[in-house]
Amino acid sequence: MYGFAGQMLRINLKTGNISKQILSESFAKEWLGARGMVAKILYDEVPRDADPMGPKNKLVIAPGVLTGTFVGAGSKCGFGAISPATNSHADSSVGGHIGPELKFAGYDLIIFDDISPEPVFLFIEDDKVELRSAKHLWGKGSIDTEKQLKEELGEDFEIATIGPAGENGVVFACITHDFGRNAGRCGVGAVMGSKKIKAIAIKGTKSFPIYDLKSLTKQTEAIIQRTKPHPNMAPWQKYGTALFVGWSNDQASFPTRNFQSSYYDQWQTIDGERLVEECRVIDKACFGCWMNCGKYSRAKTRHGDVYIEGPEYETIALIGGSCAMTSIHDVTFANYLCDNLGMDTESGGSVVAFAMECYEKGIITKDDLDGHELRWGNIDDFEFIINKIAYQQGIGKVLAKGTKGAAEILGKDSIKFAMQQKGLESSGYESRWAPSMLLSFMTSDIGAHHNRSWSITVDLELGRDEIKGKAPVVVYLQHIRPIYDTLSICRLFWGELDVMPEEYVESLNYVTGWHTTEDELLKTSEKIWNLTRAHFLKRNGGPGRIHDIPPARYYEEPILDGPAKGKVLSLEKINAMLDEYYEARGWDKNGNPTEELLLDLGMKAVVDDLKEINLLGKPLPDGIPKVRGQKLKPKAM
Amino acid sequence: MICNSVLTAKNKGTMTVYLKSGGKLREKLKPDVDQYTRKIEVEEGLSLREILNQFEIPVELIAFAFVDGRLERLDYFPEDGQVITLQPPVSGG
Ligand code: SF4
Repeated sequence: MYGFAGQMLRINLKTGNISKQILSESFAKEWLGARGMVAKILYDEVPRDADPMGPKNKLVIAPGVLTGTFVGAGSKCGFGAISPATNSHADSSVGGHIGPELKFAGYDLIIFDDISPEPVFLFIEDDKVELRSAKHLWGKGSIDTEKQLKEELGEDFEIATIGPAGENGVVFACITHDFGRNAGRCGVGAVMGSKKIKAIAIKGTKSFPIYDLKSLTKQTEAIIQRTKPHPNMAPWQKYGTALFVGWSNDQASFPTRNFQSSYYDQWQTIDGERLVEECRVIDKACFGCWMNCGKYSRAKTRHGDVYIEGPEYETIALIGGSCAMTSIHDVTFANYLCDNLGMDTESGGSVVAFAMECYEKGIITKDDLDGHELRWGNIDDFEFIINKIAYQQGIGKVLAKGTKGAAEILGKDSIKFAMQQKGLESSGYESRWAPSMLLSFMTSDIGAHHNRSWSITVDLELGRDEIKGKAPVVVYLQHIRPIYDTLSICRLFWGELDVMPEEYVESLNYVTGWHTTEDELLKTSEKIWNLTRAHFLKRNGGPGRIHDIPPARYYEEPILDGPAKGKVLSLEKINAMLDEYYEARGWDKNGNPTEELLLDLGMKAVVDDLKEINLLGKPLPDGIPKVRGQKLKPKAM
Repeated sequence: MICNSVLTAKNKGTMTVYLKSGGKLREKLKPDVDQYTRKIEVEEGLSLREILNQFEIPVELIAFAFVDGRLERLDYFPEDGQVITLQPPVSGG
């Protein structure tokens, strides 16, 4: 089989049994890797009633078919589990080098089962695979652990770790790799911690077969030559994703003070320019990347200097804007704290912003904070509360459940400003004046994550106040965008450097010897989407629509100030967008997938499962749309 | 907000400016120097926003301009001979 290492590992943590199995070609071809394989394994293998933090949940590590190739950039690796934040399928992707390293060691997939009796780390050096004691690492920070393991094992091991937050079950704990790259979302780090896995250390020295290396080399060389002078290359290399701070703010989509506003008057204190001028030490790249958008940075703090990769746009938005910071050093330090404690900076920033608003409103008081305060923009208060969360102390124990879980405990209508969807905190775009972006968040299968569909440009193209005609474009984006996570390559080459989907299809066929088409890839993506939707319904009940309604702030509270002052959506408009969306997907009015659709996607078993729990969509009077999803026809063309 | 401020021409005379863009904007830009670059002659003292409006390049689809290695906004006043890279918001990080 071309494009894959051909083997997978099943590791039972309770017994310590490690079994190497052949990766089935039909499975690989059907699910491609990362998000696809994770979705199928979790759906088939995790019992419906399994506690996300219990022994029956699985932790899956899956690079994809293009990981480890020089297709730009085959750097990604998926981490998946049933999320403790959303109680359903979760996959979170990380760049860096760990995915390629795993394939070079000879494995396409690792599935962890059960719980280890004591802390361990997984050691892989080609054929040598062992669970080793991690007692000496337990309790240490993610960055500190990575450093220590590199010292113990050698610089050429690639390491992924969890920090104290993962050990202590914070539902938004992440898995950290390469000193600041994270499989950040949905709490995959908490699942890793629940299984008592502190780290994974991999060294691989093998290769895997490529079907037509000559053509792949020729094609990639041409793409490199074409993209090197691309106008977007220089700004991306200089600023990374942080370059979008000013633009997002101009567009009134920059979350400010826990999404009370969408415009931050202090944005220039925390934007890409400040980052590069004050904190950037050196640029970093993932495996096989010639764009090196990563910024390795130094923050000046009251404890001395700290170093971390970042902050990226999302971190700046959710820690910087949403917690109202006024110094890029403070944002970078907060980024470091989250990473070393092992927490997603997006959810971490959002949870602290939520807590700050609770403090402002008197829902959390000094009594809950050991006499401390929780003031907007105060880095000492941020440091205090983020430590409380990581170690589940005092009010930190409540906040460690994420904004939704915390709001359910704190009450007093705080759920209205718990800025999450399905339990996952929203990425860094305020979207009361960007309805398609809100629809993207509302309907995302894993919760409000921008990786699934990023559609502010759709709002710019079709009108900021317009709600009609956007749903089919969101559906298309939800198919095209996650395909990059499934193939496990960096989508920035598509988004920023104009490497087109058809070129990736060509690369895929050179790598595998298949004759795949873009339509087939989109259909695979759609199939995965419906599988994860069905999984969500199976675990959380239905109808689907109840899970797609956003927090009340979006439809009850007008934006406070800035260019979008006064903008708010109504519940009626939100439901109208959902109607259009369900229709475009071939789901019924309740947001449940229909039999006709699932059969069209070849998912008979899912039909039976949904029938059993009474959540199979009712047949649509005119049948399902032949084409689900529609490409935006931009005005600019 | 800076980019919405009312901008006016500062003085007269003409200058040459090179506009560069990839992605969707490239089509609209109609490059003539190389595959990404178009050379234009414009009145001196115009802001970038005014120049783009003149050439019917949709400003709402431009995230920022990159000039001499720095991020600039649409209220920037280009100078003769400058190469101005227009960055559309495409991927969202
Ligand atoms: S563009 Fe950035 S995120 Fe993508 S592979 Fe390169 S360094 Fe990694």
